[in-house]
Amino acid sequence: VADTCPRCGFGDVHSDKCPQCGVVIPLFQASLDKMRRGPQAGASPFSGPPAPRVTTPAPAAAGPATPPAAATPRPAPPVTSGSRQAVFRGSGSGLFGIHAINALLVLATLGVYFFWAKVRVRNYLWSQSEFEGDRFAYHGTGRELIAGFAKAMLFFLLPVTLLNSTPELFDASPAVVAACRALVFILGIVFVPVAMVGARRYRLSRTSWRGIRFSLRAPTRRFVGLWIRGWLLTSLTLGLYYPWYVTSLQRFFTSNMWFGSERFAFDGRGRDLVWAWVGTLVLFVPTLGLSWFWFGARRQRYFAEHTRLAGARFRSTVTAPGLAWLTLSTWIGLLCTVGLAWPWLTVRATRRGFAWLSLDGPLALDSVTQQAQQVSATGEGLAGFFDADFGLT
Amino acid sequence: VRLDWDAAYLDGRMPVRRAAAVRITRSGLEVTLTETGARFFWPFREIRQTQGAHAGEQVRLERGGELSEALLVGDVGFLSAARATSPEAAHLHDPATRRFRLELTLAALTGAVALALAIYFVGIPAFAVVAAARVPVAWEERLGAAIVDHMAPPATRCEDPARQAKIDTIVAALTAKAAPQPYTFRVTIVNDSIVNAVAAPGGHIMVFRGLLERTESAEELAGVLAHEVEHVLHRHVTRAIFQQASTTVLMAALVGDVSGAVAFGLQGARALGDLQMSRAAEAEADREGMRLLEAAGIDPAGMISFFEKMSARDAGRSDAVTRYLRTHPTTGERIATLRALAAAVPKPERRLLPDDDWDAVKDACGETAAPPSRRR
Repeated sequence: VADTCPRCGFGDVHSDKCPQCGVVIPLFQASLDKMRRGPQAGASPFSGPPAPRVTTPAPAAAGPATPPAAATPRPAPPVTSGSRQAVFRGSGSGLFGIHAINALLVLATLGVYFFWAKVRVRNYLWSQSEFEGDRFAYHGTGRELIAGFAKAMLFFLLPVTLLNSTPELFDASPAVVAACRALVFILGIVFVPVAMVGARRYRLSRTSWRGIRFSLRAPTRRFVGLWIRGWLLTSLTLGLYYPWYVTSLQRFFTSNMWFGSERFAFDGRGRDLVWAWVGTLVLFVPTLGLSWFWFGARRQRYFAEHTRLAGARFRSTVTAPGLAWLTLSTWIGLLCTVGLAWPWLTVRATRRGFAWLSLDGPLALDSVTQQAQQVSATGEGLAGFFDADFGLT
Repeated sequence: VRLDWDAAYLDGRMPVRRAAAVRITRSGLEVTLTETGARFFWPFREIRQTQGAHAGEQVRLERGGELSEALLVGDVGFLSAARATSPEAAHLHDPATRRFRLELTLAALTGAVALALAIYFVGIPAFAVVAAARVPVAWEERLGAAIVDHMAPPATRCEDPARQAKIDTIVAALTAKAAPQPYTFRVTIVNDSIVNAVAAPGGHIMVFRGLLERTESAEELAGVLAHEVEHVLHRHVTRAIFQQASTTVLMAALVGDVSGAVAFGLQGARALGDLQMSRAAEAEADREGMRLLEAAGIDPAGMISFFEKMSARDAGRSDAVTRYLRTHPTTGERIATLRALAAAVPKPERRLLPDDDWDAVKDACGETAAPPSRRR
């Protein structure tokens, strides 16, 4: 007997699964039932302080998430509104314990355990991050990381080392040496953005919340293009192009980021940051460089305010003094303790970062479905060589 | 043992948390979704625990492949109950081990520090010796040539064939009686007022004008050269390169996923450590250099008198801090050691060069209208 899909309204469904939108109908029905019962029934039976939730009867304009009214005469799924914040529940001592055991095992295995150590740290950081009463989860493995590292070695470090040293060792002519140098330079220029995208793509694909994976879906070559063009124009304009450049990178990373089947949206424009940037440059020397934090805070607020997810909008309350103090005190703390305070400082910085960021307005996540992507860790391995930690925020 | 627990279920398809009741059985978990009454069974051997080993963390159990389903249980007592009920649940985290976590952390920390010290003081030097010995001499020569080109571009060299030949005679005399070795020694005189000599890998030795002008006899320069020749023969520089690279890796292992500021902070500590290592190499070069002089039949008094001159120059500037920070062992210590070594050596009757000749040689840069002295 043909049925109608409650989600997309497709009229010729013969099994549990809708052939058009791929939703599993009993599960979808169950979620609708649950939502109809209101937030209390669905609230977690155990999570600590309940996250503030306000249920509003969803207006018809709740976005594409609302099932077509014609297909389902039921009330539209409610969306939660209000201001939501992620909370970090980890502790410095917990992270330090992980770190101490990691250090021992890395040394004892002459470095091989490094990749598993990384996974353990990330697992802790992700697991202790909570949003709307649910923890994030990290799904990467040491085996993936070591494979990524090996591939990055093969495709990047090995060619670069060979190109760098072989011609000199074999007394090649200056022309050959110069050509090899140029090739290394080009490889370097190309591989930095490849690593940036690859690392982020990998980390997002191994991050989940409520069982749904994040993803970055855009071809790497587009980012390489953006990156090279941005650097060229920024140097040609003596830095003036920089606001457009950082905005274009942010647009790439944000508007190609997905939570399951839900895409993040970004509507920021580089020109909105131009005056802030010019001011920063003018004040750079008189403020001994501190104006950089002013621009950094302004940029973070602007990028947050122009990022949306499922009808809700991000908001950042970061201030320049706050950002400057957090950054400088973290550096000083690391320097003074030769890195030993790293776990506590990381926890502190994460807490502070979460406290600055919120997601405001109606958030309609209940129609989101899983859409995972195949991703390898090669970019992640590459990023290791550039000694760059391209965070997720 | 409590067998029934409240849980939440994530189906891995939609971001919806469903209330569920979990019952622990001997072979697995019976899960009942509260709302739909749907029931399913998770055998323990298919269950992975991905969260819930740390304080404040919920227990997260996953089942299935890449995109797994998950069960979340807030109370870690659930783990103890499961472990008590079924031997198949032994792979789940045991909350009872948590009270040893402080001890475990301290033990791991002690172990890591001990291991790091052992690697730093024993492992890395041993590795560097073995690795440096495996580097082909041809590679060392290229590397040394590159270093000389970088530190002393041709324009800054004093090239006087006649005087260079005299200096080369000294090197030949020094190395003639040494054990067979693969290096060809090349001495480059650099037109710079600093009082120093530097050995690069592969037989390249740079002597700066400042040093040359302060020598009073061929024997004094021979002493300096003997020291530098030993640096080359023992591959000290090549070894130092290996040591520095391995120390970088060691530090990366210690600080883990950190970069930037910490790496910078550790550079300081590392530089101090490198100095300590290089002091050992200097002492070795002194000792072996003295043997080289002895074998070549060159009066070791030259080496000692030159170091004494350096010592007089340094007088008043050698407090405890600079003593530790200086690359070379304090000249006082060195002279004492060298005197002790030289005492056993019979004084040779022959001189390398008459003093008048030496005055001409040590002026190698003089006629070439030396540019004003620069400090680097």
